[in-house]
Amino acid sequence: MSNLLIISLAAAAVFAIAALGELLEQRAGILNVGLEGVMLLSGTFGFIAAKTSGSYLEGFLVALLTGALVGLLHGFFSITLGSNQVVNGMAIWILGFGLTTYIGYPYTGPLGLQPFPTIAGFPVFFLVALVLAASLWFLLYKTHLGLKLRSVGENPSVAEASGVSVTAMRYLAVVLAGALVGLGGAVYSLVYNPVWSYNYLQGWGFIALALVFFSLWNPFLIVAGAVFFGFLWQLSLYPELLFPNVFSRYIWRAMPFLITIVVFVILSTRWFRLRWGATKPEALGVPYQRES
Amino acid sequence: MTRALPESRAGRVVLEARGITKRFGSVVANDRIDLTVRAGELHAILGENGAGKTTLMRILFGELQPDEGEIYLDGQRVRFRSPRDALRHGIGMVHQERKLIPAHTALENIVLGHPRTKAILDLREAEREIEALCARYGFRIPLHAKVWQLSEGEKQIVEIVKELYHGARILILDEPTSVLSPPEIVKLLESLTKMAKEDFAVIPFITHKLPVVLEYCDRVTILRRGRVVAEMETRHATEQTLAAAMVGRDVVLQVERVEVPVGEPVVRVSDLWVRDDRGLFAVQGLSFEVRAGEILGLAGVAGNGQEPLAEALAGLRPVERGSILLDGVDITHAPVLERWRRGLGYVPTERREVGSIPSFSLVDNVLLNYHFEPEFSRWGVLATGRARELTERIIAEYSVVAAGPEALAKSLSGGNLQKVILGRVLSRHPRFLIACLPTHGLDVGAAEFVQRKLLDAKRAGTAVLLISEDLDEILALSDRIAAIYEGQFTGVVPASEATKELIGELMAGLRRERV
Repeated sequence: MSNLLIISLAAAAVFAIAALGELLEQRAGILNVGLEGVMLLSGTFGFIAAKTSGSYLEGFLVALLTGALVGLLHGFFSITLGSNQVVNGMAIWILGFGLTTYIGYPYTGPLGLQPFPTIAGFPVFFLVALVLAASLWFLLYKTHLGLKLRSVGENPSVAEASGVSVTAMRYLAVVLAGALVGLGGAVYSLVYNPVWSYNYLQGWGFIALALVFFSLWNPFLIVAGAVFFGFLWQLSLYPELLFPNVFSRYIWRAMPFLITIVVFVILSTRWFRLRWGATKPEALGVPYQRES
Repeated sequence: MTRALPESRAGRVVLEARGITKRFGSVVANDRIDLTVRAGELHAILGENGAGKTTLMRILFGELQPDEGEIYLDGQRVRFRSPRDALRHGIGMVHQERKLIPAHTALENIVLGHPRTKAILDLREAEREIEALCARYGFRIPLHAKVWQLSEGEKQIVEIVKELYHGARILILDEPTSVLSPPEIVKLLESLTKMAKEDFAVIPFITHKLPVVLEYCDRVTILRRGRVVAEMETRHATEQTLAAAMVGRDVVLQVERVEVPVGEPVVRVSDLWVRDDRGLFAVQGLSFEVRAGEILGLAGVAGNGQEPLAEALAGLRPVERGSILLDGVDITHAPVLERWRRGLGYVPTERREVGSIPSFSLVDNVLLNYHFEPEFSRWGVLATGRARELTERIIAEYSVVAAGPEALAKSLSGGNLQKVILGRVLSRHPRFLIACLPTHGLDVGAAEFVQRKLLDAKRAGTAVLLISEDLDEILALSDRIAAIYEGQFTGVVPASEATKELIGELMAGLRRERV
C-alpha cells in the first residue's frame, strides 16, 4: 500500500511538472494540445543523451532544451503566423510520435545507468514539482511579469494598450513552458520508467493536458490533481490491489478523462460562474495581431 | 516622467494642434483642424457622427498619424508613434469601449504596465497611492473587486484613475456620459472640474449631451464634415447655437409627440423574470402592458435589464418565470418565428450583429424578415423579384442613401442601415414593435427621421416599446414612461407628469414611485 502511494507520487511528479508548463502558457493565452509530442521528443532526446554520455545532467539539459525549442516552434506558428493552435498542437504530437519512433528505435531498452537517487525511497521530483508550483504561483500572482503574462492571456489588446508587448510575453511563455514540459518528459524517461520503447509515454501528455483544465488553472490544484491522477493510473496497472474485480483496468485508465469532463461540465454551469467567476483565460487559443 | 510640472499653468496653452489633415482614400476625415487647449479647462469637442471626432481623437493620442499638420505640447512639437508614446507625454485616453481585463481586479488593471511597478508587485504601496488619487478627486471604486463585478460607471472611473496613475495630465474622454445616469453624470463632471482646477486639461468628445457641454465645459470646438466650424466659450452659447453649428442648419431639436386615441392592450407582460449571460436575474418581476397606438418609453442607464428584457420579448432569451401575452395569446415560450407571425417586430440594439448581416446585400437582409412568408418563398424557392421590389420601396420611402438594393449592408452608414432595418420591420405592419436604442449613434438628421417613423407606426396603431438611453428622446416620444433600475421599475409615469428631473432620479434608483 505504501508502495502504491510512493509510486503514485512518482507518477504525479511527471503529470504535475508537464501540466505546470502548460498552465504557464495557457495563462498567457497559448494552448498547446501537443503536450504528448513535446514530452515524447524531449524524453527521447534526453534519454539518448543520458545513455550515450552516461550523465543524467546531460540528459536533463538536452530535454529542457528540446522542450524549449519545440515551444519556440509552436510559438512561431501560433504567435507570429497566428495559425490555429489546436491544429499546431496536433501536428506537434504527430511529429513527436513519428520522429521519436524513427530516431529512438536503435536505443530501445533500458537506460543502463544507476537508478536515479531518491530521498529514502521518496521521489525527488515530486518535491521539485511542489517547489515549481509555488514558484509559478508567486510568478503569476505576485510579480509584475506575472500580471503582464496573465493580462496577455485575458485580453491582449488591453495589455498592448497598457504598454505590454503581447508578442514578447507569449514567446517568453511558450519557451519557459516548453522547457518545463520537456523536464516532465525527461522525468518520465530517465527516472519514472527508464526504459525506452516506441510510444513509451502511452498518453501521459494528454493526462497532463487534462490536468490543467481539471485544476481550474491553479498551480497547487495541479499538484493535488496530479497525485490523484497518478494514483488512478497505478490502480489501472494493479486494480486487484485495492478493488479486486471492480472495473477493468482500462476503465481506471480512462478515469482522469472522465473526471475532467465532469469538472468541465461543472465549470460551465451558471452556478459555478456565479460563485467563482471566470477561471479560463479569456483569450486562450486566440491569436493576436497588432493593428497597424 | 519626462514632464516636470511648473507651478501653475492655468490658462496657458498646453496642447495645440495646427492644420491636422487626415485622409482615408478619397475621404478627408480631418481637414486642416486647429485646436487649442489650455490647462485648467474642460474643452469639449462636439460633432455629429462622421464629423471627424474619432479621427481627431485617435490622432491626438497617437493611434493614427496625421497626413499633414503638427501637434505641440507646451509649445514643443511632438510626434506620437503609439498611444503609449502619447501617455509618456502626459496624454491619457479613456475609450468608450472599455480597455480593462474583466477577470482581474480594479487595482491590477490600474497598475498593469506602469513603468514604476516593481518586478515584485507591491500592491499595497500602489493601493495607497491610488486611494489618495481617488480621494482627491472624489472617485469611489472598490479596488479589490474584479472588474466584471463593477458597474459601467465604475469601470469608466477605473480607466480614468488608470490614466492619472500612469501620469496623464491631459485627459481625452470619448462620450464619457453615455453610460451614466443623470446623477452619476453630475458626480463625474464635478470630479473632472476639480481635476481641471489642478491644471489638468480635460477634453471630452461629445455627440449628443448639449446641456452637459453648456453647464460644465469652459470651451467648445465644434466639428462638421471634418472641419472646425466654430470655437467658442460656452457662456456665449446656447443649445440652439451649438446644435445649429453641429448640423449646419437650424434644427427642430425634438419631434413632437402626437396624440392618438389608444386602443386595447396588445402586449401584457406579468411578473417577468429573465437572467442575463452571467446567470443573474437582470429582469426581476416586471409587469406592464402596451396598448395599440401607444409608445411606452423605457428609460434607464445601460445595463439595468433593458437588453435582457427586449431579448426575452423577442424570443432570444429564455424566460424563467412570468408570462408574455400578445393579443391574448401566450407567447412566453414561443419560438421566434411564431412571434413574428403573430405580429411582433424587433429593432435590436446591435445593428451590425443582430440587426443585419453585413456581408449580405440589402435585398437578402430584407428577406431575413420575410423568408418565411409564402409570398416570398414558394416550395423553398425565394421570390427574389418581390424581395427586390420591397427593398427598392424601403430605400425610396426611407430615403436610404445606398448604391441600390444589391449594395452590401456593410457599405451603409449606421443611419442608413438603421433606416433599412426599421423600414423592413415596419413594412410588416407589426402589432407590437420593440425598438432598442433606435437612434443611438445616429446623426441628428437620421435620428429625427427614425423618430418620425416611430410616431407614424404609433399612429397606425402599433404598440411600441421604446428602449432608449436618451432621456430627451424618451420624453419627447413616449405616452408613458417606465424607469428601470437594476431590473425593476422604479416608476411608471404618464408623459404629462414626467419631468427630466423625476425620470433622472428614478433611473438612478434614488426614488421609487408607486408602480
